[in-house]
Amino acid sequence: MARILIVEDDDHIRTALRLMFEGEGFEVDDAATGEVGVALFGRMASDIAIVDVMLPGMSGFETSQHLRNASDLPIIIVSARDETVDVVLGLESGADDYVTKPFVPEELLARVKAHLRRRPDKSAKAFTLGDLHVVPDEGVVRQSDGSELHLTSTEFRLLTDLASMNGKVLSREDLLERVWGYDYFGDSRLVDVHIRRLRTKIEPDPANPIYLVTVRGAGYKLVL
Amino acid sequence: MVTFGLGAFLLSSIFASLTYLGVRHVLVNNQQQSDLKQSYENAALIRSTLYTSPPELAKLLNSIQGATASNVLVQTHHQWLSKSSNAATADVSSAIIASVNAGHATDQTLDFNNQIIFVVGVPVPAVETQVYEVFQLGNLEHTLQVLLLYMGAGAILTTLIGMGGGLWVTRRAVRPLLEVSEAAALIAQGELSTRLVVTRADEEVQQLTESFNLMVSQLVERLERDARFASDVSHELRSPLTTLATTASVLNQHREELSSAGQESLSLLLADLAIFQSLVEDLLEMARSDAGAVPLAIETVKSIELVRQSVRSASRRHGLDEPPVEVRPDIGDPLVRVDRRRFERVITNLIDNAHRYANGAVAVRLTVEDGQLAVNVDDNGAGVPHEEREHVFERFFRGRAAHDRGIARGTGLGLALSRDHVLAIGGTLRVMESPEGGARFQILMPIVDEVHA
Repeated sequence: MARILIVEDDDHIRTALRLMFEGEGFEVDDAATGEVGVALFGRMASDIAIVDVMLPGMSGFETSQHLRNASDLPIIIVSARDETVDVVLGLESGADDYVTKPFVPEELLARVKAHLRRRPDKSAKAFTLGDLHVVPDEGVVRQSDGSELHLTSTEFRLLTDLASMNGKVLSREDLLERVWGYDYFGDSRLVDVHIRRLRTKIEPDPANPIYLVTVRGAGYKLVL
Repeated sequence: MVTFGLGAFLLSSIFASLTYLGVRHVLVNNQQQSDLKQSYENAALIRSTLYTSPPELAKLLNSIQGATASNVLVQTHHQWLSKSSNAATADVSSAIIASVNAGHATDQTLDFNNQIIFVVGVPVPAVETQVYEVFQLGNLEHTLQVLLLYMGAGAILTTLIGMGGGLWVTRRAVRPLLEVSEAAALIAQGELSTRLVVTRADEEVQQLTESFNLMVSQLVERLERDARFASDVSHELRSPLTTLATTASVLNQHREELSSAGQESLSLLLADLAIFQSLVEDLLEMARSDAGAVPLAIETVKSIELVRQSVRSASRRHGLDEPPVEVRPDIGDPLVRVDRRRFERVITNLIDNAHRYANGAVAVRLTVEDGQLAVNVDDNGAGVPHEEREHVFERFFRGRAAHDRGIARGTGLGLALSRDHVLAIGGTLRVMESPEGGARFQILMPIVDEVHA
């Protein structure tokens, strides 16, 4: 049974979400503030979190950062505004996905289920990227000194999926479908922000990527 | 201008004519007065000559002619006694002869072949003689002709000046109006920052400029207030709407536990909540677009892939059949600069409309028109009547198609938003007839060179 953490300050929305997820068979922990949400997560070990951006006290971005530092769980940000800066800030804070209010409840439910369905592809072959050694069946990336480079599950999936194409291009839509499990809700910003975050972790010079390159008008490819 | 010219012409003609007539009258009168006086003096001279030495008469007459350039004729007992060398008896009419014979001094102005002559007859009863003097008013005539010439030239000049002045005055008076009309046209095109510049010192023009600017400012303020209001309302609606939609979906989870009336009500609730939701989303998007709040994320992309992917996600998002993308073979794969998200929203809206108002899009066709990339979303429905082709892009416009059929309602904002999006990426959106006889919604976008990309 999946355990979901809902951090939302609006009582009505929080209760409605709780009822909906309980109706779908989830175990629901809910919190009206980021502080309570982070504390709850420490005790309950949620499988996925939904975090509203506009919270009193600790903001949704900070809350999502706290959760991300503690775990690789999928985090969905609920933004009040569909503005690129909010979306990017939310994703930069470590979230995997976002929805904007007023969201369609079925859409949120579909996203949550898609994120929970995702499992790392253990069958993928290990590969080397410069100084980095990517081992999919262990779910780790090792640096040359033997230490582990931390990637979120979304980033790891992005990297291994691109690697499996053997240098062929994947469009943003393909990536949405393969990594996020759907392509018809997301928009390309979701892919772009995650690619950028991944670059800061694996590229020697993230501004001039040599491994994870953009193919204009087509998408992204990984040069091994 | 023509009116001014005509006015000037009339006035100057009347003035010239009056002057000419007046001057002519005065000149002729003066000349006649002096000629009359001259005649009496000459008659006295002739009388004394007849008394003293009649043979000297012819000599005298010729000397008079030499002195005054007039011809003198002398008659006695109905016989011409003598005349100066240039004189002609024909110049003296029988009427004047009769009058002078009766003993009255008489004068007569005659117009011979456009030459005015002035004939004066003076009776000299003591010697039964009549003296006639014929004056040529030729000099006067010349003066008058010169005068007429000058007056005519003056009239023409005045007319031209009148026309020129009229032109200048008209231009000067109309120019501010032209500026106002140009500014109004710009504002109508959405250039709301357009204002008139106060350049001229004319009080009326300044007043016009100022009140025009004031009007535009107030209009813009009002527009902004309205837009803010719509945006505020939509923002406030988001939270309750989210609760409503989520609660309705919870109810839907328990659909089986509801009575049939409850289930039917729930279906209505869900359907209208979906419309409500789209409406609020569109209103929010519109408010953002009006406020220019969302920066464009422009990138250069290959058009064929862009259209294919947009059509695919648009169709999947709404669970609609995916129309085929047909590319005219000779166009290559032009590059265009777009904001992907906005472009996809436009395609989504057009495909959704084709589904709503026709039987779905039959194809999305890519071609090049006038050097621009044309993306045509075609259907085989009833099409959009000519008179509605511009109106369908207005906010909340409901055309005949929406009234005629039991069509699932849209928000009424889709096409307006689509046009905003297309304009934002530098293209145009219009509607025409598809080859199938239905509607063709055409997006035209500038093609960019590889070099500038």
